[in-house]
Amino acid sequence: MKVDTMFASKLFFVFLVLLVFLVPNLAPESFASDSDSANSAIEQAEGVMASAYEAVLEAEQVGANVSGSLARLNIAAENLANAHICHSLGDFENATRFANLCYNIGEEVTSEAHRLKIEAYGPHVASLWMRAIVSIVSTVGIILASFLGWYVFKGRYHKRMLRMKPEVG
Amino acid sequence: MDLEEYRTVFLVASLALMMVVTFPTVSMIMSFSSRERFSEFWLLDSKHAAENYPFNVRVDEMQGPIYLGVGNHMGCSEYYVIYVKFRNQTQQPPNSTASKPSPLPPLYEFQFFLADGEEWEAPLNFIIQNILLQKDSIFVGNISINGVTFPVSCPSTWDSKNRGFYYQLFFELWIYDLANSSFRFHRFVGIWLNITV
Repeated sequence: MKVDTMFASKLFFVFLVLLVFLVPNLAPESFASDSDSANSAIEQAEGVMASAYEAVLEAEQVGANVSGSLARLNIAAENLANAHICHSLGDFENATRFANLCYNIGEEVTSEAHRLKIEAYGPHVASLWMRAIVSIVSTVGIILASFLGWYVFKGRYHKRMLRMKPEVG
Repeated sequence: MDLEEYRTVFLVASLALMMVVTFPTVSMIMSFSSRERFSEFWLLDSKHAAENYPFNVRVDEMQGPIYLGVGNHMGCSEYYVIYVKFRNQTQQPPNSTASKPSPLPPLYEFQFFLADGEEWEAPLNFIIQNILLQKDSIFVGNISINGVTFPVSCPSTWDSKNRGFYYQLFFELWIYDLANSSFRFHRFVGIWLNITV
């Protein structure tokens, strides 16, 4: 029984020594791993936000109503700002959580903006064609009317000039 | 008027009419806006005025709210970031003229999107904490902004000319630049603080 107790205490001592040597080596790795995953999550979220913004701008340029997308992007932007703040304070767990929330909203907004762009693109192009046709027809009409008007005016002008000529008796 | 002059009048009138009828189409492809494009950036006191900003700041005493605001007049939606920074008199300030931000790391930040013609405003409270006062120098350990505490470890020496220990809390406005796919420093606003114990 005494031998067992001694063996157990020796085993405990060995375990303690191992723990003392292992913990300082493992802890920074886990810390670095948390930091790396937070960095990676933030980078991905930043990339998605940039893509979402570009997609929203493209939709806006073809006349889509992007107010809903902008409102959702603002929620994502708030999450990204929180992720940066948590990261700077060493709270990598929350930094990753906020970055992932931002990423998910950013992805949704990007696809929504693409859909809005496609929906608005048809009417935008149709309106452009309609205006182009009206403009071309009107321009041709103006050119023809100008020529016609000019010849009529020129004829009347010459007649008036001839009438004004003094008659030689 | 002779016939040549009449012809010129006809030509000019026809061209003017053609420009009028083609304008709606051309305006869909090209922008003719003569409007000045800019972003407003403001900092107001707790009464929404530009008068009583916090100046003599006591330790552990909440200051504010002060209000940060941005107005978008750029002609399209914009993506903005505001970085909140804290510096002493010897640390490099930002330079709006040279478009050069402060090299100091941001403490707090705001990110938001604004449609053309829209405005954004947010309150900001702050508390100076953990101060170490020596003979002619002071050391600010922490600053709490909107409830989040940041370590700043920022020393300052006694300014005998202005009689105080001076720090600046400043706010940099950055705008997302599509051409470079990154944020670009635009301008800054800030308030000077005289730290008192």
